[in-house]
Amino acid sequence: MANPVEQFKIEPLIPLDIGGVDISFTNSSLYMVVTVVLTTLFLTLSVKGRALVPGRWQSMAELLYEFVANMIRDNVGSEGRKYFPFIFSLFMFVLFGNMIGMVPYTFTYTSHIIVTFGLAIVIFVGVTIIGFARHGTHYLRMFFPHGAPWPTAFILVPIELISYCSRPFSLAIRLFANMTVGHIILKVMGGFVVALGVFGILPMAFLGGVTVLEFGIALLQAYVFTVLTCIYLHDAIHMH
Amino acid sequence: MGAGSGAGLGARMGVELVAGIAAGSLIGFGLDSWLGTKPWLMVVFFFLGAAASVVNMYRAVQGLDESVGLGQAARRKHQQMPRDDNKA
Repeated sequence: MANPVEQFKIEPLIPLDIGGVDISFTNSSLYMVVTVVLTTLFLTLSVKGRALVPGRWQSMAELLYEFVANMIRDNVGSEGRKYFPFIFSLFMFVLFGNMIGMVPYTFTYTSHIIVTFGLAIVIFVGVTIIGFARHGTHYLRMFFPHGAPWPTAFILVPIELISYCSRPFSLAIRLFANMTVGHIILKVMGGFVVALGVFGILPMAFLGGVTVLEFGIALLQAYVFTVLTCIYLHDAIHMH
Repeated sequence: MGAGSGAGLGARMGVELVAGIAAGSLIGFGLDSWLGTKPWLMVVFFFLGAAASVVNMYRAVQGLDESVGLGQAARRKHQQMPRDDNKA
């Protein structure tokens, strides 16, 4: 049976070493480039016609655009509009990464925690900077609830602070765990199909269901990642 | 594993538990290396991180929003409840 975790192996395609730091172009980087190129091609080619009555491709692009635009309007408010380019890029990057990973023999970069953590830490640092830029030191006020007796600050403030700092971890682990678990299940079930011979029809049927579920999860996790970014942004902008 | 389902909530609990403790321990470790007080701050922040993850899990179970501040989140939920009832 094939090793179920072999699919996550990073292989350098173009070895590069600058100043002792390994910055090789790996299969992970290749799929990120493929994602960016595909997203750009999809979005630019589909809206090239600029038809008033959209065709099939243009409808798809408009659907994604409106989906993210509505998500920002509902979760951040009208002030979130200027962050649309970042959130839309983030959504497309995660969504296409998950979806390309569902094609057999491809590599899923969102199943690597360093990739998801990299995205999450950029969001976390960005949101914190936005919060401090808009509210100054008042931003620290939200770590202490209004009306609580002041001696509780010694225990409440550190807990709220750590709760705040755990956001990038929670964001990164959620996406990474869902993608990794799904791909391992697919691989293990695929191994059963081969190993069981005629009776492989049973895991095969199960595999069909799991594949559909995996597409759902790929979509849902891209949505969750983006909607959480919106909620964090809302916090930084409005500050209750 | 979708949001809203039982399995989704279970997965969420696991993530929150790991994330809070990881954040707390890392902060403690960082402060320790900086101030040279190994291992005391890491011990303190490990427990604070555990407390923070339990707070986050409590929020997830109660269906509170993900913004900062447990007290504010609970109050917001209570404020929203009557409005939702009127709509329905």
